Amino acid sequence: MKKSKSMLIGAMAVLAVGQGLMSSGVILPQWSKNYKPRAEGIDGQLGPDQLLFALAGFRELIAGILWVQADRFFETGNYDAILPIIRLVTLLDPKQIDVYSTGMWHIGYNFTDEEQRSDRRYIPSALALGKEGATKNDYTYEMFFETGWMWYHKVQDDFPKAVDWFLQAQEKKDMQQARKNVLGMAYQRNGQPDKALETYLRLYNESDALLKKEQIYSHFQNKETLEKNADNTLIRMIQRGWLAEQEGTFDQGSYDTKPPFDVQFSARVTVEEARVIRVEGFWGVRPVGTRVRFILRDSDYPDAIPGGMLWDKTDTVSLDPPRDRTWAQDELFVRNQRFNRKLDLSKDPTMYSFLQPEYTIEFYYNPRVAPPHIQDKFGWSGEGMTDKNFLRTDVREGSRVVFTQLTLTRDQILRRGEWADKVPIVQTKNFIAPRNVRTEDEILVTPGMLSEPLEPKLNKGERLGGGEN
Amino acid sequence: MGAAIETKNLTKSYKSKQGGRINVVDHLNLYVEEGEIFGFLGPNGAGKTTTIKMLLGIIYPTEGEGYVFGKELGDMEVHRIISYLPEKPYYYEHMTGLEILRFYGSLFGIKDDDLFKSLLEKVNLAGDMTKTINQYSKGMQQRIGLAQSLLNDPKLLFLDEPTGGLDPIAHIEIRDLILQFRAEGKTCFISSHELSDVERICDRVAIINKGRIAKQGPLDDLLKGGRIEITATDITEAFSKTIQDKDAIVSFSHGRLIVDLPDDHNPNALLDAVRSSGGTIVSVIPRRKRLEDLFLETVSGHDGSSVEIPNPNDAKEGAEA
Amino acid sequence: MRPILSIAGTTVGEAIRRRVLLIILLVGILFLAIAPGLSILSARQERAVLIGLTLGVIQLTSVVIAIVLTVYMIPNEIERRTIYTILCKPVQRWQFLVGKYLGAVAALALMMAMMTVVLIVVYAIQQQVYSPDQLAPLAKAPVMFFVQMSLLAAVAIFFSTFVTPLVNFFLSGGLYLIGSAFSSFFESISQSANVQPFAKGIATFANMILPNFAYYNVQNPLINPQQAIQNETVYYIQVTVYGLFYIGILLVGGILIFDRREV
Repeated sequence: MKKSKSMLIGAMAVLAVGQGLMSSGVILPQWSKNYKPRAEGIDGQLGPDQLLFALAGFRELIAGILWVQADRFFETGNYDAILPIIRLVTLLDPKQIDVYSTGMWHIGYNFTDEEQRSDRRYIPSALALGKEGATKNDYTYEMFFETGWMWYHKVQDDFPKAVDWFLQAQEKKDMQQARKNVLGMAYQRNGQPDKALETYLRLYNESDALLKKEQIYSHFQNKETLEKNADNTLIRMIQRGWLAEQEGTFDQGSYDTKPPFDVQFSARVTVEEARVIRVEGFWGVRPVGTRVRFILRDSDYPDAIPGGMLWDKTDTVSLDPPRDRTWAQDELFVRNQRFNRKLDLSKDPTMYSFLQPEYTIEFYYNPRVAPPHIQDKFGWSGEGMTDKNFLRTDVREGSRVVFTQLTLTRDQILRRGEWADKVPIVQTKNFIAPRNVRTEDEILVTPGMLSEPLEPKLNKGERLGGGEN
Repeated sequence: MGAAIETKNLTKSYKSKQGGRINVVDHLNLYVEEGEIFGFLGPNGAGKTTTIKMLLGIIYPTEGEGYVFGKELGDMEVHRIISYLPEKPYYYEHMTGLEILRFYGSLFGIKDDDLFKSLLEKVNLAGDMTKTINQYSKGMQQRIGLAQSLLNDPKLLFLDEPTGGLDPIAHIEIRDLILQFRAEGKTCFISSHELSDVERICDRVAIINKGRIAKQGPLDDLLKGGRIEITATDITEAFSKTIQDKDAIVSFSHGRLIVDLPDDHNPNALLDAVRSSGGTIVSVIPRRKRLEDLFLETVSGHDGSSVEIPNPNDAKEGAEA
Repeated sequence: MRPILSIAGTTVGEAIRRRVLLIILLVGILFLAIAPGLSILSARQERAVLIGLTLGVIQLTSVVIAIVLTVYMIPNEIERRTIYTILCKPVQRWQFLVGKYLGAVAALALMMAMMTVVLIVVYAIQQQVYSPDQLAPLAKAPVMFFVQMSLLAAVAIFFSTFVTPLVNFFLSGGLYLIGSAFSSFFESISQSANVQPFAKGIATFANMILPNFAYYNVQNPLINPQQAIQNETVYYIQVTVYGLFYIGILLVGGILIFDRREV
């Protein structure tokens, strides 16, 4: 017995060493690569019990249950409840692409204030979720496409990013043919019509080949669309003088984009009540379709850049945006060459906390987002647009934009202290108040009937500090 | 004939709840002859089952040694020729009687359905062999236990309380089976706290109390010291005075005489004298000492040894400690 | 060998008749059957959620069955005194223990196979997929779960040689949780620069000592089949061998303890 006992103990020791070597030497690296639960970045969003249970092999089960649960909140529109679930599900099972894409969409689009203004503080998180989803699911086009779409459609700035993501999506085998032409659209927005045309033609050929192989309506439809897109792009490249520019014959021809059209931008911001702001101004373009970006933010907002912020800076998804920070962003829609909009920021103290001492107001217009009929005049990158006061070529690379800033203090916005009884107004130096016009509702103008801007009337008493900074 | 079982100072001690150790089996010296029916008697908690488990090699002695058929305790070869019927065992309830025997048979490598069926017949379960155990009565379960204990045609059977909880008819059936074993030359080691059945069939008994052997020997020797009661009528008072035996207890009234004699005294002389005096013998009743009496004497200390009734909480049988 | 197989066979017979286990199994199967009703999302989500939920149900049910089945196995034999009728036969204790273990594993295999069949049937009906090529991969995860549960059963058998069932329940369950979670923690610890070398050493040691249940959680590629796993079969074989090594350790350890155990 003694002999067999020591033999058994010996066997145990051998097995113990064997399993230890196998475990850490052979299996762990493979497991880590293929099967490991991704727990990074959980950062206290999961309780220890949930975490333990989740890591104990029931991740997918929990993820599934949570996702089913989230479905209920979708119906009721309880987005605050969905987001943590989405974050949890993606942490538990990073292969659930739909959770990533829906989550990203919710984070990017569904946080709004009472006036349906989107909370842009969430966009870096939405993009971070997109990046994470793409990294963890790099076998499929989906998250690359979705992330590109967020740049293209939501951020509406920094189009090279959109191009880059769409390009990556194209490389995936499962990329849908019908979605590929978005790359061409992104190229156009990025001021690269030649690349867009190239893309359309390439896809046209692809669709043509597919149609020959298989007589499916969708192939036919794709082919039609691409043909039309290519046509349009080519026509615009000629009309807007883009081709002439490339060939060095721009000066000789008469193109819609010349001479550069002065938009004569001016603006005034009035703090009508505490946290209630009226933004009005002039934009000398008569056809409808212009939206001027308006931003009211902490002057020292982290990562702020002219006309936006470093949307792409973080890789961490945070569902808790900085509560002590204010970022209000809106699009000012131009009608009859004027914009006039009242922004009531008093109803959403969590979005607009106004805790910082100084606030910057920005007006930003990038012709790259202009609709085609305006781009026909301005060109893809603002070649045909100018502004004698606020044209900037240093704000966005390769693009001529209109940009200016004004400043308000916290006391002015909150109508406190010396501003309790006074109406704070800041405006660009060139702002001229419209005569007899108070609100947009009172403007009765038939589009196309006016050839000149509305008669300006100086309103000296209301002028204040500000002006162009 | 050699020794089937022999122990030398076999001891098993457990930690008691009060701290310290308690000897459940205390320096036990047993000797069981091959072929005999050996009664291992004692009250509950005396250490009977613990002793059997040690003999079977299921638990290990703290001290001392033991041999079964000359081999050390727990020897696998010995396990082939012995068997054990535990007290109130449960068998796998989902199995039928036949399946139980097949299972236990397979542990010996026996795959003989004819043998199984004949064993079932032997224990009177042939008609119930396709019923599952949970349909069996207590007596039937005990009998299936006996059948499984006979699978290997054992030379030595350990029967722990074989009649425990059974009705009188079942008692007799079991007793007959045990007698049959003796006829077949098997050795039986029967542990019991009940006495009525075994007193008649055991060749030798040991009485154990508090882990120690209180008495051991052939049953007849232990039962010596009985009495004979003679009752006669039509006796004169004068005659009654003539009885001189100092061990006799004499009572006389109205011509009726009762004499109580130790059973080693020959009653013939007295009977002759009664008859010749004109008296009539009504009855001669030998009152042998019964095992119950012996048992009671032993464990309650009437025998002069200072034995206490054990506290069952201190030393329950089995492996509670 | 024969006694081991007989004991294993009896154990299976007993296990599949234990009411507690049957109820757990039934609840598991019930969940599997109603799982399609829970997935009310878009088509692909439905597939992912369906597989994720059902595999999770199988795993969870199997864990409970594995633990409940094994923690009571040895104590029940002792309590019912059946162990005496077996150990007084020419059966070594190690044979008894191994037989009991193999019986538990076989019973687990049976029950898990049943659940897997239900899973596949439910999936086939729900997704209208009937080709064996598409259905067969679904059994991959349950097969790995089975190795995992065999390891868990060995853990529980090992503990059952010296602790009471209740303690064993928590010990085995706890070890399952730790063994499932630890390698993740270990990875982050060993990759983190902030952790002391001493703590790293302890973590490395613990990682080598603990049974690593996480290795068998291979369901994710099934839920999300687009993921390409290289050397999948090799990995499966490796973790199975690892499991057998570990089961060997536990059984030998259990035998050494059980051999001197007073029953």
